[in-house]
Amino acid sequence: MRSQNEFSYGGDATVKRPELNKEVSDKDWDNFVYNRKSLRGKHKELWQHISGCRQWIKVERDTATHEIFKTVKAHEDI
Amino acid sequence: MSSISALRDAHIKGLFGDHEGKNESELLRISELKDFLIVQIVKYKKSSITNKDIKIDNLNLNDETLTVHCNSKTRILWNGPNNWLLISINKEVLKEINEKLKETDFAITNLSHSRTIIQIEGKNTKEILKKGCPYNFNELKNNNCLNSVYNGMSVTIDMLEDKPDKIRIFTLRSFGESLYHSITDACLEYGYKNV
Repeated sequence: MRSQNEFSYGGDATVKRPELNKEVSDKDWDNFVYNRKSLRGKHKELWQHISGCRQWIKVERDTATHEIFKTVKAHEDI
Repeated sequence: MSSISALRDAHIKGLFGDHEGKNESELLRISELKDFLIVQIVKYKKSSITNKDIKIDNLNLNDETLTVHCNSKTRILWNGPNNWLLISINKEVLKEINEKLKETDFAITNLSHSRTIIQIEGKNTKEILKKGCPYNFNELKNNNCLNSVYNGMSVTIDMLEDKPDKIRIFTLRSFGESLYHSITDACLEYGYKNV
């Protein structure tokens, strides 16, 4: 078990980059770059073990209680 | 040639803290280590080489979590998946690394001049670590290593012996004095000897 102090928040894990080499509207690009939901409850997030093994992971966390439900490697789906 | 000490203005030899009336064997011993070869070895994700085929100074690059593989001169610390920190007093090992590890498969970085190494020895060593680092040190065994933070500073901790506990803490050279003061402050209540 490692302390939360060793981890760094890396953003919303549900955001997907618009496909490469395809037209993207300004609104879609704006949503991808800037707009995020501020959910209360279960949320999928990216975290990095920045002061440890420096790996990225996906975490399902409750933003109200900080309870962690599941963690997987960054390339895996929760 | 000996390198310039990172702690030359901070580390003064002698007895400090609550040492009076105590046997020297009960005190913590703090020393600065220098003139080590420190090399970071990272295997690229796309590399097809298997780690078992590689031996540096007769030691394998094993991908076992928190494990140190060592001989009398060299220690290879697991730093992360396909990521190791090699510490050696034998500087010829660098030549061997460059010969055996191809540029196309590995990123080799010589960190020898960019780290401060503090060694702590004594029965209360783990208590000192617990004061500044969130890791559960009761789990830490001989030849284990970990990356963590000590009072906010990124550190690598390597456990060399457990009777009594003997550990080395590696940090960025620029953090050296701050880490040193954090550690010596934590040692005051037990009494310590700077050697």
